[in-house]
Amino acid sequence: MKAVFIVFNQANTERVEYMLDRLEIRGFTWWENVMGRGSVDGEPRMGTHTWPEINSAVMTMIEDDKVAILLEKIKKLDQVNHEVGVRAFVWDILQTV
Amino acid sequence: MSIYKSAVEKPITTLMIFIAVVVMGVYSLINIPVDLYPEMDPPFITVMTSYSGANASDIETNVTKILEDALNSVDMLKEITSTSSDNLSVVSLEFEWDTNLDEATNDIRDVIDRIMDNLPDGVDRPTIFKFDTSMFPILFYAITADESYPGLEKIIEEKIINPLNRVDGVGSVSMIGTPKRMVYVDVDPKRLDAYNLTLEQIGSVIESENRNLPLGNVKMGKLDYQIRVQGEFSESDRLNNLVVADYLGKQVYLRDVATVRDTLKDVTLEEKINGQTGLRLFAMKQSGANTVKVARDIQKRMEELKPTLPPDIKIDVIIDSSKFIKGSINNLSSSLLYAMVFVVLVVLFFLGRWRATFIIVLTIPISLIVAFLYLFLTGNSMNVISLTSLSIAIGMVVDDAIVVLENITRHVERGSSPREAAIYATNEVWLSVIVTTLVVVAVFFPLTLVSGMTGVLFNQLGWIVTITVVTSTLAAISLTPMLASRLLRLRKQVKPRKFGYENTIEKLLNRLDSFYEKTLRYVLKHKTLVIAVTFAIFVGSIFMMKNVETDFMPESDQGRLTSMIELQTGLRVEETTKVTRKLEKIIAENYPEIEIISSSSGSDDEGSFISMFSSTGSNIINLTMRLTDLENRQRSVWDIADDFRERVSQLPEVVSMTTSTGSTALGGSNSVDYEIYGFDFDVTNRYAEKIFEKIKNIDGAENVTISRKNDKPELQIVFDRNKLAEHGLSTAQVSTFVRNRINGLVPSLFKEEGEEYDIKIRLEEKYRNSMNDILDLTIVTPAGVKIKLSELGRIDEYWSPPSIQRKRRERIVTISAAPDGVSLGTLATRIKSETATIEVPSQIMIAIGGAYEEQMDSFIDLATLLALSLILVYLVMASQFESLRMPFIIMFSIPFAFTGVILALVITGTSLSVVAALGAVLLVGIVVKNGIVLVDFINLMRDRGIELYDAIALSGKSRLRPVLMTAATTVLGMLPLAMSTGEGAEIWRPMGITVIGGLIVSTLVTMIIVPVMYASLASRDERKKKDKVRKQFLFMDK
Repeated sequence: MKAVFIVFNQANTERVEYMLDRLEIRGFTWWENVMGRGSVDGEPRMGTHTWPEINSAVMTMIEDDKVAILLEKIKKLDQVNHEVGVRAFVWDILQTV
Repeated sequence: MSIYKSAVEKPITTLMIFIAVVVMGVYSLINIPVDLYPEMDPPFITVMTSYSGANASDIETNVTKILEDALNSVDMLKEITSTSSDNLSVVSLEFEWDTNLDEATNDIRDVIDRIMDNLPDGVDRPTIFKFDTSMFPILFYAITADESYPGLEKIIEEKIINPLNRVDGVGSVSMIGTPKRMVYVDVDPKRLDAYNLTLEQIGSVIESENRNLPLGNVKMGKLDYQIRVQGEFSESDRLNNLVVADYLGKQVYLRDVATVRDTLKDVTLEEKINGQTGLRLFAMKQSGANTVKVARDIQKRMEELKPTLPPDIKIDVIIDSSKFIKGSINNLSSSLLYAMVFVVLVVLFFLGRWRATFIIVLTIPISLIVAFLYLFLTGNSMNVISLTSLSIAIGMVVDDAIVVLENITRHVERGSSPREAAIYATNEVWLSVIVTTLVVVAVFFPLTLVSGMTGVLFNQLGWIVTITVVTSTLAAISLTPMLASRLLRLRKQVKPRKFGYENTIEKLLNRLDSFYEKTLRYVLKHKTLVIAVTFAIFVGSIFMMKNVETDFMPESDQGRLTSMIELQTGLRVEETTKVTRKLEKIIAENYPEIEIISSSSGSDDEGSFISMFSSTGSNIINLTMRLTDLENRQRSVWDIADDFRERVSQLPEVVSMTTSTGSTALGGSNSVDYEIYGFDFDVTNRYAEKIFEKIKNIDGAENVTISRKNDKPELQIVFDRNKLAEHGLSTAQVSTFVRNRINGLVPSLFKEEGEEYDIKIRLEEKYRNSMNDILDLTIVTPAGVKIKLSELGRIDEYWSPPSIQRKRRERIVTISAAPDGVSLGTLATRIKSETATIEVPSQIMIAIGGAYEEQMDSFIDLATLLALSLILVYLVMASQFESLRMPFIIMFSIPFAFTGVILALVITGTSLSVVAALGAVLLVGIVVKNGIVLVDFINLMRDRGIELYDAIALSGKSRLRPVLMTAATTVLGMLPLAMSTGEGAEIWRPMGITVIGGLIVSTLVTMIIVPVMYASLASRDERKKKDKVRKQFLFMDK
C-alpha cells in the first residue's frame, strides 16, 4: 500500500476526478481550497487578490502496482500545461485498521 | 454554492432566467408610454377670487393682500405671487418640487375657510386651481370653412368633438374662436322716444311672448287632454312682427322701432388660419396617457371623420406635440442602435474573436431591457431622459463581461476545459468586478436623491444607470461564464493568415503596448517634470473656463413659433385685425418655411380656457406658426424668429412683442427677470422705464418686456346725487339702464333644433359710439318723465392700471429679457453691470430672477451632487484598496476630466447647460474606473514582489487594452448622441460632447499621471513598510 498525495490547480479538478475514476481508484480523501506554492518556480496559490488561483488536494491509498500508472497519468496531465500545475507525492503505508 | 458555479452547472436554468427577464422586458417595452420628459407635476397652485365691480387696486387691498398674508403660512411654500386686476384676484403659490400637492391643497382650503370672514361681502368663494401637465393641449387643429362657416360650431361639435371625446385616453376636446349665432334687436332710440317706449318694455314684451306654457289637463269624453300654449318663436323672423305697443290706436310692431338680425355674434376675438376664417380645435390627453398614442389615435379618427363633413371645411394640424416626441425618441433610439454597433466593433477590434464578442455583446440587450422593466413597474414613460441614460450605460455594461471573459479565455488557452475555466476564472475576478460596479453606482445613485426640478430629470437617469450596470454585473458573473463554458473552444494553433487578425490588428496593438511601456519607463524617470506639465495643463484649462458660457436648458428647434404682439392699449378689435392682416402678409411674403399661421386677435369676452396660457385683450394678437419639417428647411426656427422680430419692430403700430420658439419645454421661460419691488407706482414705473431702456439696448437681449401694462383709458359716469334724488332714481337703477342700452339686454333665448341662442336688445351701434351719444341716452324716471343722462351727471376720462402684480407680498415690476445668441449667464452678468450705474431709489428693492435663478439653483444642486459622488467614490475605493492613499492617486485623474470637458465645450462652442454639467458629474465614475483598473494591477504586481518601476511599466503594458477598451466603448457609445442633429438633438448633444471630451482627455492623462503619482507616493511608503515588518519580528535578527 502506498499513499499518493496529489495537489493540483482547481482548474484541473475534473481531470483529476476522471483520472481516479478511470484508474478505478475508489478511496480517497479530498481537500478543497488548499493554499500552497511551488518550491522552484510554482506560482503561489493563495486564493487572494494578489494570487487568485487556488489548489485542491487529494490523498489516496492504492496498491503498489497502481502507483506507476497513476504517476504516469499525472505527468501527462502536467504536460498539458505546466502553468496550471499538478504535483504528486508518494509514501509508504505502514499499517491500516 | 456560488452564483457562477450554479450558472455553469445549470445552463438551462440560467438561460431560462435570462429569457424570462428578456420576455418581461420586451413586454414592458411594448406597454410603456412614450413621452418627452419624465412626468412631473409642477408644484403650482392658484387661488382665484372674483369680486365683481372692484378695480385692480380695490382687489389688491381688500382681497389679494388678505389672502397672501394668510396663505404665506402654508407648509413647503416657496414663493407667492399675485395679480390683481379688475374684478379678479389671482394668487399663485409655488411650492417646493417634492411637495404633496393634495396636502397643500387641503392646507390652502383650511386657510381660506379661516379667513373667509375677513374678505369683503360680495366676494365669491376663492377657487383653488391645481396645475397639471396634462392640461396642456397635445394637438391643435386649424379648421377653416367658407359657406359652412356660420354653422361651423354645431357641425364641429357634433361631427368632430363628440366622436373624438370617445377616443381612448382623450381628456377633452374644445375649440376657440367659434362663430356664435345670436339674434340682435338693434333699437333706434329716436323711434323709441317717438312711440313713447323704453328698451326695457321691448325686452319684457319679447320675454312674455317667447314662451311655451302648460295649461293643465282637460277631460273630454273618455280621454284626458293636456292643454298647452306654444308661444315660442319657431323662427327669428317672427320677432319682426311682434306687437310691442299700441300707439294712438295703431299697433306698433317691433320692426317699426328696431332691426332684427339673426346673425353671428359681433367679433371680440377673430380667429384666422392662413388668413381664412376658421377656428382652432385642441385636444388634451388624460393624465398618465401616452401622448404619442393618443395623438395618433386622434389623428386616425380625424381622418375617418373628415369625409363626413361638408367639402368646404378643411382641417389641418397646427401643433402636434407628439411629432416632436416621436422624432426625438426615434432619433435617440437610432443613436442607441449606432452606439450598440460601435460597441460591438470595439469589442471585436480588441478581442478579435467572434464567439467572445458575441458573449460580451449579449449582456447589452439584457441589461438595457431590465431598464424598461424598471420603467414599466414604476409607471414611468420612455422619454428623452431614459433613452439618454441608456446611451450612457451602453458603453459601461460590457466592461464587466469583458473582464470575466478575458480571464476565462486565459484559462482556456492554458488548457483548462471551458467548463472549469468558466467556474474558476470567474471565481478569481468576481469580487473586483463587483467593486468597480460599486464605484459606478456610487456616482449614479446620488442622482436619485437630487430634489427640485433637476431632480425630476436626474432621478430617472440615476436609477436607470444604476439598474443597468448592476444587471450587467449580475449577467457578467452568471450568464457570461455559462455561455463561455458552452461556446468557447481552445483554439488550434493554425498558421495565421497574412491579413488575418493576428497579423494586422493584433500586431498593431502589441506595438502600442510596448510603446506605452517604454513611455511609462521614460516618464517615471522624469516625475517632477510630468507632474508640473500636467498641473500646468489643468491650470490652463481653468483659465479657459471663462470662455465657456452657461445656460439653463438647451433650446430645441421644435418647428413652431408663437408670437404675442401688443398694440396700443385700449385699441378696438377691428383695428387690431387690420394689423393682423398686415402681419400675415409679411409672413406669407418672407417666410416660405411657415406652413400654417393661425392668428387670434382680440379676446373672447367669456374668458375662455385658452386665456390661461396666453394673455389676450382687444389690442393683442396671438400668432401660432408651424414650420416645415427640420430636414426641408435651411433656416432654423431661431433665425426666422430673429428676422420676424426685426420686421415686426419696424411697424409703428406695435407697442411690444414676444416671440418664442416653443422650446421652453421645462419649467417655463428661458429668461432673465429683473425684478423691481416697491409700493409707489410712480417711483417704480419711472425706475422700471429707465431699466427697460438700458436692457433693451444690451447686446444679446431680446423679447424685452415689462410686466406692468400701461394704464388703460376708462370712461366713468359721475352722477350728481342730488339730481338723482330729485328724480327719484338711484345709481343702481341708472347704471342698469345704461348697461342695457350699451352692453345689451338678454330677455329671452331663441330655440332652434335643441340649441339656444341669445336674443340681445340694445341700441343700434351708431347711437352708442360717442361720448355725446351716451350723454344723450334717455332715462325714464319712476314718475314717467323722460330725461337725458346728461341731466344726471357727466362723463370723465380716466387712466387706471389694468392689473397690479405682487411677489413675496410686495408690489413688483418685472422686466424680462430672453438671451439672443448669448447664454443666460452672460446676459444676466451684462444686465447686472449695465444697470449698476443707475441709482436705486430708497423705496425700491431689486433682484435678478427668472430662469437664471433656476439655473443657479440647479448648478448648486449639481455641485452638491458632485461633492457627494466624490465622497462616495472615495469611500468605495478606500475600502477596496484598504488604503487611504490609493483613492487619491486615482482621483488625480478627475480634474483632467474637467479639463477635457472645458476643452470640448470651447471647441464645439457649446454652453454649459444643466445637461452638460450633468455629463461632467457622470464622468467622475467613468474616469475613476480606468484608474482603478490600473492601480489595482500595479498593487497586484507589487504584492507579487516585482520592483516598483517594473511593476508599473508591466501593469501599464498589460492593462492598456482593457482601459482603452472601456474608454472606447463609452466614447463611441456617446458619439451618436454628440453627433445627432435631428429633432430634439439640442437637448442631449451637450451631454455627449462633455462625456466624450472629458473621457478622451482624462484617459490619456490617467495613463500618465496615475502611474507617476503612484510611483512618487508609493515608493517611500513601501520602503518604510519593509522596515516596519522587520522591527516586528526582531527574533530573526537578534
